[in-house]
Amino acid sequence: MIRIPGLGIVGGMALTLRRFFEPKATIKYPEVKPDIPHKFRGRLQLLYDEYGALKCETCFQCAQACPIECIDMGGIDTKGRFHVHWGAPETYGERREESALRRSGRTVPDPAYAHFEGIDPDPVDGILEEYDFDPKQMLPILEATQAAYGHLPVAALKRISHATGAWYAMIYGTASYYSHLRFERPDDSTQAAAVADHRPTEATFLSGLDAALAGGRRAGAGSAPGAKPN
Amino acid sequence: MTTILRTPKGWPSILLARAGAKDPTDLDAAVKGGAFGGLRKAVHDLGPTGVIATLAASGLRGRGGAGFPTADKWRAAATTDAPRRYVVANGYGADPAVLTDRTLLETDPYAVIEGLAIAALAIDADEGFIAVRAEAGPAIRRLEAAIGAAEEAGFIGPDVLGSGLSVTVTVRPVQGAYMLGEETVLLKALEGKRGQPEQRPPYPAERGLFGMPTVVQNVQTLAAVPWILINGAEAFAAIGSKASPGTILVAVRGPGGAGIAEVPLGTPLREIVALAGGPKRARDAGGAGAKPGRGSDGALKAVLVGGPSGGLLPPDLLDTPYEFEALRKVGAHVGSGSVVAADQRACIVDLARLLTRFCADEACGKTIPCRIGTRRISEIGDRIAIGVPRPTDLQLLADLSADVVASALCDHERLATLPYASGMRYFRSELDDHILRSSCPAGVCRPIAVAAGAAH
Repeated sequence: MIRIPGLGIVGGMALTLRRFFEPKATIKYPEVKPDIPHKFRGRLQLLYDEYGALKCETCFQCAQACPIECIDMGGIDTKGRFHVHWGAPETYGERREESALRRSGRTVPDPAYAHFEGIDPDPVDGILEEYDFDPKQMLPILEATQAAYGHLPVAALKRISHATGAWYAMIYGTASYYSHLRFERPDDSTQAAAVADHRPTEATFLSGLDAALAGGRRAGAGSAPGAKPN
Repeated sequence: MTTILRTPKGWPSILLARAGAKDPTDLDAAVKGGAFGGLRKAVHDLGPTGVIATLAASGLRGRGGAGFPTADKWRAAATTDAPRRYVVANGYGADPAVLTDRTLLETDPYAVIEGLAIAALAIDADEGFIAVRAEAGPAIRRLEAAIGAAEEAGFIGPDVLGSGLSVTVTVRPVQGAYMLGEETVLLKALEGKRGQPEQRPPYPAERGLFGMPTVVQNVQTLAAVPWILINGAEAFAAIGSKASPGTILVAVRGPGGAGIAEVPLGTPLREIVALAGGPKRARDAGGAGAKPGRGSDGALKAVLVGGPSGGLLPPDLLDTPYEFEALRKVGAHVGSGSVVAADQRACIVDLARLLTRFCADEACGKTIPCRIGTRRISEIGDRIAIGVPRPTDLQLLADLSADVVASALCDHERLATLPYASGMRYFRSELDDHILRSSCPAGVCRPIAVAAGAAH
């Protein structure tokens, strides 16, 4: 090959010149709006309100509606429940396959959840057997699972999902609704404190009502009807 | 645990007629007291159409709070074409301060079971569920014992009173959410799903539990059904007010204590509050009252009618009859059946704030007006209470409440606006004191009270 001196720089300058006459990519934003497909939503993100609570009830309606099960959430919800991620974003592709497989009725291998704490599967298997793998008995199943493990471990929920055929999103949404079901270990004090801070109980309401009727919430819970603040 | 308040002579006793029984699960004693007479009549004389016609003539309405005519509901369920039908007795009793449903199940489980069996026969259902709060241990134990005894005696089970019809009754303990008191939410819980309300129509009477026609009735409604069949529709229609006949259990709380009373619908609020030592006669007001000698209306500041989502009514509305329409008109509702008297120590803003916060926290999250709307209402209330209100807050509160009501999916959010709506309607001057003058007349809202030097 013959090397002609200066050809490299000519080629480089040609590129520069071409770019120079091309239309510009910069737009004067507020005056000129970019052309965006109307269904584009940007990056979906859950926001926190001014009190630091996630603006999400973890009802998982969105996840249940997603046909390829690619919606995932993490953080503390308005009820102070800790949500555990379903898996890393890199595993979305696998989850898609898994979703298709599950609807075909076959058992699905589950590598995406391997990093969650392992459990001894015997208790949950026994419970599922007892309730005949019936998703209509989901509440008793979840209650019995919590009684067996002390809380609802993700691995147990996954097992229930596989055995009963109910979507994980469905089970998680159910479990996050009822205040007597919990995902955090009862012996984890930091989580328990954070949860207690967020999660109202009926007892709080009752003592609040007592106090409000007796003239001021700061009068303390269960104060005598005659007690007056100050 | 719960005291049953003594009601004036002449007030009918339908739901608590057998309340004095030594052992409520004793079937023989209950039958001697009239239990299962209504079921016998329904099976042998009336038949499904006869039962529904009798109920229609009696004008019985649901005691769950909304007051829907029972006969219409049963007819809709009976005429909807379906392979199966269900009956669900709602004994959840969502309001933590109200134990009426639980007390009824404890004192007279057979009345509820009989009503459930009659409903099942009337709509041709063969399965009935009684939903009870899982914390209510005694009620569940008694119900289970009563169901066992009634099944053994052939009142329910595979062959009801030798007619060949079958009715299975199961107790289903549920717990964990305030919203379970709402019928579609309760059905979701029985199906093992997240408790979120469904759009209506279709009503549960057309598509309910597992997609089948389902009659969901409060336990008080079901307990009244046998009485109607035995004593006739006219006798029932004669009790209470014309638009809503019959009696209802009310949890009253006043200066003289708290308890449960059976009250004919249409009774003025004044008489109900008087049961718990409210202002009516001096001799009623003894007991554990905060200050003796409170005999005038002046001591009473507001009456909270309807539980956490109830309305706050001023003393001059004490003559309002306790029934569905009249209460709705004045901005309260029957709701959980609670009537709470608040005296001058209570602050309206503080009370409304507590109630709205509870409703917002218990929102299931299905719809935005409820999830965000009630939370915002609660936040506006917080601003008013801590002394940093914006001048437009009252207008914002009114607009937001109207929007939430207009776009609501279920009654929870619609009624969650009531504490502030009724507070603005009747206690405007107290709200104005908070907003315009930064003072809390009751001295409750602490930052304001301190700032205004009114910490008394």
